[in-house]
Amino acid sequence: MEEDKISDAILVLRCQKRDESAFRELVNRWEPRLYYYLRRVVESDSAVWDVLQETWLAVFQHIRRLEDPRKFPAWLYQIAHNKTVSMFRKEIKYVQITDEQMINYYENNFVFCYDIEQVETIHELLAKLKLAHREVITLYFLEGFSISEMAQIIGVSEGTVKSRLYYAKHKLHEALKGAKDV
Amino acid sequence: MSEQENNIEFIKNLIAQDPPPLEEQSRHKETLLKMVKRRIWLGKMTGGATYIVLFSVAFWAFLRSDYTDNVVHSICWAALSLHILLWFLIYFLREIYRAMAEMAEKSFDKGIKGQWRNTDRFITIVAILVFAFANILLYRSFSLSDPLKASDVTAGVLWATVFFIFWYPFGTASLIGKLWFEYKKMELNINNSSDGSA
Repeated sequence: MEEDKISDAILVLRCQKRDESAFRELVNRWEPRLYYYLRRVVESDSAVWDVLQETWLAVFQHIRRLEDPRKFPAWLYQIAHNKTVSMFRKEIKYVQITDEQMINYYENNFVFCYDIEQVETIHELLAKLKLAHREVITLYFLEGFSISEMAQIIGVSEGTVKSRLYYAKHKLHEALKGAKDV
Repeated sequence: MSEQENNIEFIKNLIAQDPPPLEEQSRHKETLLKMVKRRIWLGKMTGGATYIVLFSVAFWAFLRSDYTDNVVHSICWAALSLHILLWFLIYFLREIYRAMAEMAEKSFDKGIKGQWRNTDRFITIVAILVFAFANILLYRSFSLSDPLKASDVTAGVLWATVFFIFWYPFGTASLIGKLWFEYKKMELNINNSSDGSA
């Protein structure tokens, strides 16, 4: 995991020097994850490829501005999110929930556990979640981003991310429990 | 299986639930890389064209200084050709300095981060102001009638570049020195730790 991060950082540095082979390697490494994320937030299949294309072109164009290469994953997802929003020419409407008690409950009590065998069920359940919840939980599963990183990617407050993550985890937890009982 | 390995396996399996279709993916990559190649090529062409245009303009100004009958104009055109070349050299030196500073920042980042960026910002602002002022002086010197006065003004215009021509190479040399020291320190630490372990 740590080795992957270091080699990603090296690839980013090479890309900043306009190394085409490094960019190709970066695309090969990150495309499946990015595709999975975009498929969860973009409805149409053809639009996914358009957003992906736009995202990678923006990455290539602005990668020199990325000061810390270790922050590449969060930066990449932030670009993908912004491209999605701008492609549809509107802010994706999310349900705004900032219930402090619920956030505290999530921080102090709620532990979401899943087994590796449940991956197929989780994948199917993701489709049933609301877009806002699906986006944060996908970022959480794929990259294990912190609350502040997710807030930066999506462009909302940390409280909003916490509450969305709480709802998404709670819904998945309930659904997984239901699936187990059946 | 450790928790970390479990997580990696989980992510792999999750992505495998909805992988990008191979045909579509290869078509997408081909288009993307073609566009990227075109952008790299365009960047190189723009850089090359700017370089050629600046040199041509400077050379044209130099030729004009040879062919004009007016002494003041001759001095001014010669100064203009040097003025263009010297500021182009400063820009080039600045790019080298920035590249070295970014390398040092990414390699060691001990206090160098804010420091060099603030200094660079300050020097760049001063350079822009000096460049603008020198342009005005040079423009005005064309309308002078006294060749002595004109040579005095144009000498001042050219002297304004001297500070920057010295500043950037010295800055770059100091950064290279820092990088070399850090490298030596790292080398010594590696030797010490390998001696200790042996």
